Amino acid sequence: MSSTTEKTSRVSVEERLFSLVLALIATEIGLTKADILSTVQGYRQRYVPGGNNASLERQFERDKDDIRELGIPLEVVEPPDDPGSNHHLRYRIPKGLYDLPADVSFTADELMLLKLAATVWREGSLSAESRRAMTKLNALGIDASDPVLGYSPSLRVREASFEPLSKAMDRGQVVAFLYLKPGEAAPRRRQVEPRAVVLYDGRWHLFGTDRDAAANRTFLLSRIAGPVVAVPGATFVPPGEGQAQEAIGELDALWNANIASVSVQSGSDAAVRLSKRHSAGSVRLHELDTAVYLHYTDLNVLADELAGFGPEVLVRSPAALRSAVRSRLIAVRESHTDAPTIGLTEEGE
Amino acid sequence: MSAGPAFGASDKLTFLLSLVPFLMDHDRISVTAVSEHFGVSSERVREAVNLIAISGIPGETSQYLHGDLFDIQWDELEVNDLIVLTHLVAIDDSPRFSAREAAALIAGLQYLSSLPENADVDAIASLMAKLTRSASEAPSQVAVSGTDAGTTIAVVRAAVRDGVLIEFDYLSARGEHEQRLVEPWRIQSVDRDWYLRGWCHLREAARTFRLDRMSGLHVTTQPSSPRRLEAEQPEALFEGSASDLEVTVELPSAAVSLLADYAPQGAGGRSADRVGRTLRVAHYHGLKRLVAGLAGVVTVVAPVEARVVVRDWAAAGIARYDELDADNVDADEPDPMIVGT
Repeated sequence: MSSTTEKTSRVSVEERLFSLVLALIATEIGLTKADILSTVQGYRQRYVPGGNNASLERQFERDKDDIRELGIPLEVVEPPDDPGSNHHLRYRIPKGLYDLPADVSFTADELMLLKLAATVWREGSLSAESRRAMTKLNALGIDASDPVLGYSPSLRVREASFEPLSKAMDRGQVVAFLYLKPGEAAPRRRQVEPRAVVLYDGRWHLFGTDRDAAANRTFLLSRIAGPVVAVPGATFVPPGEGQAQEAIGELDALWNANIASVSVQSGSDAAVRLSKRHSAGSVRLHELDTAVYLHYTDLNVLADELAGFGPEVLVRSPAALRSAVRSRLIAVRESHTDAPTIGLTEEGE
Repeated sequence: MSAGPAFGASDKLTFLLSLVPFLMDHDRISVTAVSEHFGVSSERVREAVNLIAISGIPGETSQYLHGDLFDIQWDELEVNDLIVLTHLVAIDDSPRFSAREAAALIAGLQYLSSLPENADVDAIASLMAKLTRSASEAPSQVAVSGTDAGTTIAVVRAAVRDGVLIEFDYLSARGEHEQRLVEPWRIQSVDRDWYLRGWCHLREAARTFRLDRMSGLHVTTQPSSPRRLEAEQPEALFEGSASDLEVTVELPSAAVSLLADYAPQGAGGRSADRVGRTLRVAHYHGLKRLVAGLAGVVTVVAPVEARVVVRDWAAAGIARYDELDADNVDADEPDPMIVGT
């Protein structure tokens, strides 16, 4: 096989990364950067002894990040006799922390359930991450029980802010974004320490510490306008587990505290759908109308939904919701009145 | 296997690291069997095995000598398409999950656990704990809270499993109630909304039904015919038809994803931040609900009939508030405290 090792042609990315992982697991004491660049497959072909290897070093920095992103515990060891020295840092992957714990095993039923859980995500990073997790699980060689046929639950992540927010959260990176709060004329810039991203009542929410308010806040991802950017040099220590539960707890409290009272036309789409969803109860008022009580977390989100039902729903309380729905309907009526001169006018507001 | 995002270097590395311990546990295994187990193509398996076989560690000599490399029985691979790993280097176990990989599966499980038929909370909790323990760091704080899907799902799902027809009263988007007899094929959810895909005996065609528009659900003893199901596209939920109406709408470019279900076509717009899109709809009844629910975001531009339907829908809604103001009625509002569910 020595002929392959002499090859100076381009080594693929996965071969270089695979070789790096193998080399760092095989070493007990760790390898220095110079060791790695001069000997590991994919680097050594481009290494110039005694020369300038700056671009190769940058390559190694990126590779380290990529490997860690995959859950591989790549450690940096300071030399005990020379602490603080950058020059003699050693890199290694402790096998005990790399291997799946020996006492963890999965049954065929559990694997079937995990496969179904993985398919919930059809797009974006959660889909790619689920797929990699399943590849790792498949290494265990367990055959899953028969899948449930004719059943395919799925969730979508439509908001572009999801990816940068969840990545920043894992890295403890403070982010900034423009946030349009309903009722405010223009979006306002927020600086936030992202702590959890949760799907609640069908909407993605960011839970985090607002740096200006110095307090925890919940944001709807759909109201983030424009890009989410990292605030240079601003980091925080991710508080770890329990943040998502705290976020859901706060949303639950909000949900339980908010009740809207609406009348729905009996037999209508609104009656059929609202009475089956987030209903806190209903009472038949008379032949034509049923009173339905709805829990909600966000008045404006509920107003959007209720406006869609047009005359099938009449909001009774709270007054703010009533006027929110009414003004939405007025906006729709206004923007669809007057024959449009197609292709010429500016429609809408 | 769904297409999903592109298979990049991270996926390839994960596959290499996972394939080694799997091959170690299987002395002789065919490329086909591996491809089926991992859900990847045979070409990808061969490519990975070829790479593993020439990989290894620099070793004491830093020369990647033979003993420092993995090895396979090349003849078995070339002649019989069998993988026989004969020498191992450095790794012999599956890698742990990353924080985000564990979180993706945990959040998926949370979604499943909120469904009534997955009510085995303890089993799911124990599975989540295992995933947490198998990750190299604490799982990312991504979570999915319960959806209230209702009990209809469990009934329909049982009918899919048992292969029997179901009957229900269906309220169509046009606002018409009709009794339907349906061969249930598949239950599919998209976020909070649940759908049944099946063969509608009334329409003599494949149809998609919203579960929350069904009432009076009744499971029959008539068996479904499996042949029709075979012709069905596994992921099809909504499909266009020749009789569809074309509607032109205008909306902010940032909001286009809100219309993803309607497969909007076209590009360009009249201003920097508003764009025009063409949608195909079966009738204007669904459109008016969609547009009224996106007040101030989406405006129908053409045809005029569609604009009129939307305007009238909004106007009818406003009229109810005007009446309410005129009567100043709040008197018939029942006391929420006495309400049962």
